[in-house]
Amino acid sequence: MFDVLKQQDVYTCRHKNSVSECEIFLHQTMVKAVVGEEARLTSAEDRLSRSAIPAEVGLVIGKLSSVLDRGFVFDLIPTPSNDAGEPACSVLETRDDKKKPSKSKSQSSESSSLSIDSDWVAEHARQVSRMLLGGVKVVGIYVWASDSAFKNSTMILCQAIKAVSDAIRHLDPALDEALLIHICYSPRRWNCRTCLLNSSITSSSLRPCDFKLGRVLSSLQRFKCNYSFNFRLPIYSKGESSRQTFTEILRQELAVHEKELKSANAMIDGYLVHNDEPCNTEGEHEIELLFPFMKDIRAEATKNVTGILHFGGSIHSYAYLNVKEPVSQAVTDIKADITRSLQSRLDIICDEAEQDLNPTDVGDDEELRY
Amino acid sequence: MAPHSCEAATVRVLCPKLLLSGNQPGALQWLIGSPFFPPFTVVSTFRCIHQSPDLDQESADDLRKLLPKGFEVIGGLIVGDSDAEKSALEAVRAARRLRKIISEGGELDDEKIVGASVDAGTGAIHFFISKTEKLAKLEPVASVVYEEDKSGKYLWENGCLLHCELPIKLPFYFPASSPSESKKMFSEAVDAVITQFKEPNVVYIAETLNKASGDVPKPVVLRGKDFGFGADASNINRLPAAEDQVSDIISCSHLCLNSKPAAVVNSAENADKIQISLMLNRSEKSPTSGAPVAEYFPAMEEARLIVVDLNLDVLTYAPKELPLMHAVSNLVIPALVDQLYSLTKIILPHLLMEHPQLRIYHFNPPGVLHPITTIYELNYGETEMKQVDVRKSLHMRLGLPLDRPLLRTANALDLSVNDDSRSNTKKRGSIQLKEVHIGIPSSGVSEGVASVIQGSYEYYHYLQDSFDDSGWGCAYRSLQTIISWFRLQHYTSVSVPSHREIQQTLVEIGDKDPSFVGSREWIGAIELSFVLDKLLGVSCKIMNFRSGSELPEKCRELALHFETQGTPIMIGNLQDSMYFKSIRGGVLAYTLLGVDYDEGSGDCAFLILDPHYTGGEDHKKIVNGGWCGWKKAIDSKGKSFFLHNKFYNLLLPQRPNMV
Repeated sequence: MFDVLKQQDVYTCRHKNSVSECEIFLHQTMVKAVVGEEARLTSAEDRLSRSAIPAEVGLVIGKLSSVLDRGFVFDLIPTPSNDAGEPACSVLETRDDKKKPSKSKSQSSESSSLSIDSDWVAEHARQVSRMLLGGVKVVGIYVWASDSAFKNSTMILCQAIKAVSDAIRHLDPALDEALLIHICYSPRRWNCRTCLLNSSITSSSLRPCDFKLGRVLSSLQRFKCNYSFNFRLPIYSKGESSRQTFTEILRQELAVHEKELKSANAMIDGYLVHNDEPCNTEGEHEIELLFPFMKDIRAEATKNVTGILHFGGSIHSYAYLNVKEPVSQAVTDIKADITRSLQSRLDIICDEAEQDLNPTDVGDDEELRY
Repeated sequence: MAPHSCEAATVRVLCPKLLLSGNQPGALQWLIGSPFFPPFTVVSTFRCIHQSPDLDQESADDLRKLLPKGFEVIGGLIVGDSDAEKSALEAVRAARRLRKIISEGGELDDEKIVGASVDAGTGAIHFFISKTEKLAKLEPVASVVYEEDKSGKYLWENGCLLHCELPIKLPFYFPASSPSESKKMFSEAVDAVITQFKEPNVVYIAETLNKASGDVPKPVVLRGKDFGFGADASNINRLPAAEDQVSDIISCSHLCLNSKPAAVVNSAENADKIQISLMLNRSEKSPTSGAPVAEYFPAMEEARLIVVDLNLDVLTYAPKELPLMHAVSNLVIPALVDQLYSLTKIILPHLLMEHPQLRIYHFNPPGVLHPITTIYELNYGETEMKQVDVRKSLHMRLGLPLDRPLLRTANALDLSVNDDSRSNTKKRGSIQLKEVHIGIPSSGVSEGVASVIQGSYEYYHYLQDSFDDSGWGCAYRSLQTIISWFRLQHYTSVSVPSHREIQQTLVEIGDKDPSFVGSREWIGAIELSFVLDKLLGVSCKIMNFRSGSELPEKCRELALHFETQGTPIMIGNLQDSMYFKSIRGGVLAYTLLGVDYDEGSGDCAFLILDPHYTGGEDHKKIVNGGWCGWKKAIDSKGKSFFLHNKFYNLLLPQRPNMV
């Protein structure tokens, strides 16, 4: 993976003229072109133009492939109205009154700008990303707005991207860029920018990139993986380790598991994943994950224990891969999907548990349906 | 399989040396064969160490650990009296009992066993065949064929090695209040591991273990669910009957490299090797699948957790035509199970204390055709007395000489997958030539008996490793050659020291001032002996000569050195006549590799390896230039090689008497 990245850095450098640009690109690779699924995006555009709403914000679902240097947009999901029933995005008319949102498309003028409920969009991203399959991610946000409103709202858009990426980063720690798609209604056109996710996102983080519509979903390959696991975690006696809550132990375990999963060997359709060539055969592919034989990493050396936490079950996981991507990407995506599934489930349960009772303490004989 | 008529039974002996012990009456040896070879083929022989009453220990503790699966005891050999058949019967009975213990009560009464007896007086060996256990009568054999010359080829052209490394971290729990339960709980945990070997979710991956890069066959994946375990895994040593072989099953040869020229395949070292890895497939359908659940089970009382490291490492022999699946289920898995029990047995008494650090090594000692496996306990290093005794006992069992290390960890077969260790040594500058004296012209001593060094060495000379020591470094180079001999004979794992490291050593022991390091000062025999003592613990004998003319007189003594010690000798030629001032420093050094001596005429020649050579590593150039060759004491022109007006001293490193 690292090698591939490095190669691309060199490649990028050779094609850039300015030295300063080159320096930036040495640190991070960005997709150069983005392809949107024609059928889905055209229908989204039709819906927006028919709706006659002045502005809309939503999530971009797709995949960014650093290997192929390309981004793929599968679909757009509009962010619903917030708990107060207000739209997540609205147009502010600066000439008259900043607080008064404009409802009419015709009122947009040179000085209009957007108001976005970034927290709400971020919460939307958090919930959606939990439900996505392997190789499918929230890759950015889109806005439906006039050219001038968009131009006057760079800061607020950057803030929204930052909020979204922060909300989904725990499921995708390698996240380093996001897309900002602007669907402009006068004149009607699509614009796509990539945004480097540095600690501070400013207008300089945004770079325009090629955007076109094409067939994306039909070129996806589907990978399937059944994953069953069965761990016995020793719960140490008081004094042997710091007292932890159930949730803490499980979170810790998920971190251990993620690491273990990352180093697992994989077979695709019964063959060990050997080289990084694309998968040429048709149809759904099955991934199997192989682990070291009885090399228990969960039990530490001689200690006293009060009990065992049994953690087990099955997960059915899917990942989608562009035909041109190497198969190792499918394995990475499947593994990420398994990790994400486990994490999301724990998140959901903890969310619910927090509402009714305090986290269960270790030592209580209680089951945590997971 | 074997023809069942025993009328014209032929015993084939592949091993070069059948009688390990002297003609000690009653001494028993096991004859080793393979279920994959024609019947009565003796591959090797082990000496029986725990005789009659201790056969349990003999089998369980030793043979089962030592002998790779794919080989088995096929008979016994005993040193007896003139009644050959009676003695042989005794050997047969012992062999039958041993086989029974090893097979753990399998029905083996009707197996044919080879019995051999050695006449203590004449040393003649007589072979017999025992048809069944009930019959006290032995059948004579039609012929005995000794085929040691092509034995290595026979073994490794038709067979390959399967290597499986399996590090297990096994946790187990027992009530903290009753530690006596621990052994039982541990044994149960071990049994659970063995059950796991045959679970449907186990995957065995077989791949070619190849040192050279290039085209290797794709790994073969064998799934536990396809094995049909549980049907009949008891008769592990037998080839499956023809009818249950599936035709499309991949055989071991699929992963063997056929391109290899057959001539080099004559030892376990360069045999075809297949690496087997065990993995757990978490994507196998599980009967208890459901949404992930975390559930807490409190212990009845406080429990104690102990994690035991069990690093299994087995080597097995399989004929190439054997289907891989059979090789795994009938050889590799039983070997893993046996080894797991062996390790468990060693660990059990120390379960609640510090666990012994058990390491498994495979060796291919000289004279033994097949590899052997040992379990060493390395808590205190391998020079600890207990380990020395273990090695001594193994040397005895295998009939290996007791004065040289052949089963140290440095001698072990290198079965590692990656080749990093080798490339590291190559990095260190030029590669020295080995055994340069092989193939040089004869000495010219007509009736002479040549005595030369035993074993391998590396030729160190001027300017190697881009280090300019021309004019002063010859004794350093001679020392490097001597140390390389000790390294290659596995007496030490110390790397050959550089000039600077040699100087540093002399400063460390207080022989030289710190300014000596980095200087171009010469060293002599005494300095060499200090360094050998300090770095290798090797002691040396020093012989002094007032004149070069005295050397030929000591030829007999030098010949004896090469026969008993076999180490390279350093010859120092004192350049100044300051003999009484110092016999140290200031010498021209040569390395003496052998003498050729005619006792009748007194004619003699010396095999000299000259460190003053400044050329490249070109064997032809070295030999043609006379940098390695026989030097007559007085050549055809009447010139003496050893100058009469010079002093000489000889440093004779003594081979450490150790294993």
